[in-house]
Amino acid sequence: MIELQGVTKSYNGSTKAVDNLQLTIPRGEIFGFLGPNGAGKTTTIKMITGITRPDRGTVLINGKDILTDTVAAKRQFGFVPDSPDLFLRLRGLEYVNFMADMYEVPHSLRKERIEVLAKRFDMIDALTDPIQSYSHGMRQKIIIMGVLIHEPEVWIMDEPLTGLDPKSSYTLKEMMREHADSGRTVLFSTHVLEVAEKLCDRVAIINKGVLQFCGTFREMQEHFQSDESLERLFLEMTDHE
Amino acid sequence: MNKTWQLTKVMLKNGSGFLGGKAKDRWKKIALLLLACLGLLPLMSAYVMIASALYDGLKLVGQETVLLGLGLAAACLGIFVLGIFYVLSVFFYSQDIEHLLPLPLKPAQIIGAKFLVTLLYEYATVAILLGPLLITYGVKSGAGVLYYLHMLITFLVLPVIPVVLASLVAMVFMRFTNIGKSKDRFRLVGGLVATAIAIGFQAIVQRGASTIENAEQLQEMILSDKNMFLSLVTQMFPTSRLGAMALAEAGTLVGIGYLGAFLFISAAFGAALIILGDRLYLKGVMGISETAAKRQRASAEEFDRMTGKRSAFLAYAIKEWKTLFRTPAFLLNCVLSSLFLPFIAFLPLATRSDGLSGLSAYGEMLQSETAAGIGIAIAVAAAMFITTTGSISVTAISREGQNFFVNKFLPVPASVIILAKIVPGCILGVFSLLLMEVLAGIALQAPVSFLLLSFVAAVPGILFINLIGIMIDLNMPKLDWDSEQKAVKQNMNTLIPLIIMLAVSGLIFFFVIQGDAASSMVAGTVCVLFVIVDLILYRILMKKGPGWMEKID
Repeated sequence: MIELQGVTKSYNGSTKAVDNLQLTIPRGEIFGFLGPNGAGKTTTIKMITGITRPDRGTVLINGKDILTDTVAAKRQFGFVPDSPDLFLRLRGLEYVNFMADMYEVPHSLRKERIEVLAKRFDMIDALTDPIQSYSHGMRQKIIIMGVLIHEPEVWIMDEPLTGLDPKSSYTLKEMMREHADSGRTVLFSTHVLEVAEKLCDRVAIINKGVLQFCGTFREMQEHFQSDESLERLFLEMTDHE
Repeated sequence: MNKTWQLTKVMLKNGSGFLGGKAKDRWKKIALLLLACLGLLPLMSAYVMIASALYDGLKLVGQETVLLGLGLAAACLGIFVLGIFYVLSVFFYSQDIEHLLPLPLKPAQIIGAKFLVTLLYEYATVAILLGPLLITYGVKSGAGVLYYLHMLITFLVLPVIPVVLASLVAMVFMRFTNIGKSKDRFRLVGGLVATAIAIGFQAIVQRGASTIENAEQLQEMILSDKNMFLSLVTQMFPTSRLGAMALAEAGTLVGIGYLGAFLFISAAFGAALIILGDRLYLKGVMGISETAAKRQRASAEEFDRMTGKRSAFLAYAIKEWKTLFRTPAFLLNCVLSSLFLPFIAFLPLATRSDGLSGLSAYGEMLQSETAAGIGIAIAVAAAMFITTTGSISVTAISREGQNFFVNKFLPVPASVIILAKIVPGCILGVFSLLLMEVLAGIALQAPVSFLLLSFVAAVPGILFINLIGIMIDLNMPKLDWDSEQKAVKQNMNTLIPLIIMLAVSGLIFFFVIQGDAASSMVAGTVCVLFVIVDLILYRILMKKGPGWMEKID
């Protein structure tokens, strides 16, 4: 579960990137985080994951405050950043093992998990190669593997489907569904509205740092009293200024 | 031409040059620059004094122009050597390459722009290498305005030829090494060979220079024209004579003639670069970021070995170590200096005219207690100096660049990450120290007691430099670089430990010479004092470090 209470972040003291955000993402849900470019999605995710400190407000992950109970809160989630160009000089397996060490995964468990993940993402033959030699999609997959190695309770993913081939994309979506259905939490941001419409239990739409809407797709249609697609509703919500 | 110019402007802005970034940081940088200038002041004044003494001496025999010729030639050599590294980083290892290659630009336009960027970087080098000499000459000879006008033009044009030569060397090297799957390794070996040649060259220079004991001998050497180094340098850059004559004859028609010839030849070199670069550059740069992949499944044992469990501290330190060794720019700039400098330090001794046999005399000297005390001070200073030039801990945060944010979401206390980051710097520092100890043991036949004492005294000094380094980098990391070279080479932070190291070494020498103490006393005091300072720094780092790390955006 992720709880944001009155989270605010401004740059240069004037421009508000995120303004008084109030959001609760309960267990058992895939939660989509939508918004146009520069709306404040990534800033919000950075505040949830402890990369950026909010000016005001609190962020709780499974009840643990990211600002005061930092390490315990960070153990609750796995985070896939928007760019997979990380740890390029390490081999795939070295990176995954590094992440396992960071999250203190026992030796007996990590081998099995790496094998399962590598099989699902079709990465077994690439594990001993440097990440630098990977394609964009492969980098994305190895980053996801490193994040899931400690079987985090909360998944936080910034544009996780970008660059994945259809099979891997399908696998990841399937895994997200399994994870939520087992009573745990998935938060992900995306620009692809079809994906959000099909995959998410609930969505939040943010624009210019302000939460425009939070609820199910059905609720959104009711709210606007229309049968239109998420795309039309989204455009309507974010273009009106 | 217009496109070249526009490209240059974009590259300079994108390179987030020295004064880019936030206003607050800008003040820090300016303050740092002033501090660095202050640190260079003693060196500069010594330079001016030597130049002025040489001028007086040469003036007596009417040969003062030689000073200009020599200065310009030496500056060209310096620009050439540094230029190779600049060119590699700007022409080949800059991250804008992949964006430039698909654009409808001629190779000549890319090279032109990159050449101008390199030229601009080099002006800073020229200003330091040549500025004091040219101004001293001007003042001493009572030159008029035209001299200074010629000086300005010479200053602007001088780097053209050496940078062209450096570019050609780099382009030919990259062109013919851009082959096969293991080109990174191939290039590394090439780089090592080049470094070895540079050290050999250094040895020749040292052999020439070590016979000089005063300015008169230097003058003699300059005039006798028998010195290998001097003739080599002037032969390598014959045009520097034109520049020198243009300066010496400033204000006369002859002077203008020389200046014209100098400009013309430099322009010809520039044109040659464009023409040759048009053929060479693309073949060297295309596919530069490709990395070989085997796509082979790991064997069961390999898999087992690679998935061993380690503590977060150890795992992080190993990650740092691997990244340092596997990134060519970091390996060349941070690691290799730790390995080569101990040898270079012994070169001036080994290249003495009486050869290695004379060296054991130093070893005998170290048997005497007070000489050994000074010897320990030298060993401590040398170990700290080598650690400082490696710049490993002072760039440990900067080297992460845009990926620094990863440290912030890892479930590991910031203090663990900070400590793990200084491990490679400490290990390589101690390794260099051990190398020096071994060399001193073999070449100087220094007594074992001396080797042990100097080791005990130097290790906490190495830790001191690393602690200072990480504290500086935590407070003002340089994360917005576009080529790895910039994280370690064009990083002003690396100057601060150098200044601190020089000051601390100066203090140690002062007290050792004043105190006239026995070597065990010197080693004990230096060791205890460093340990106390290290403990204080460690406490500060553990208390404040995590907060500093959190502030980094």
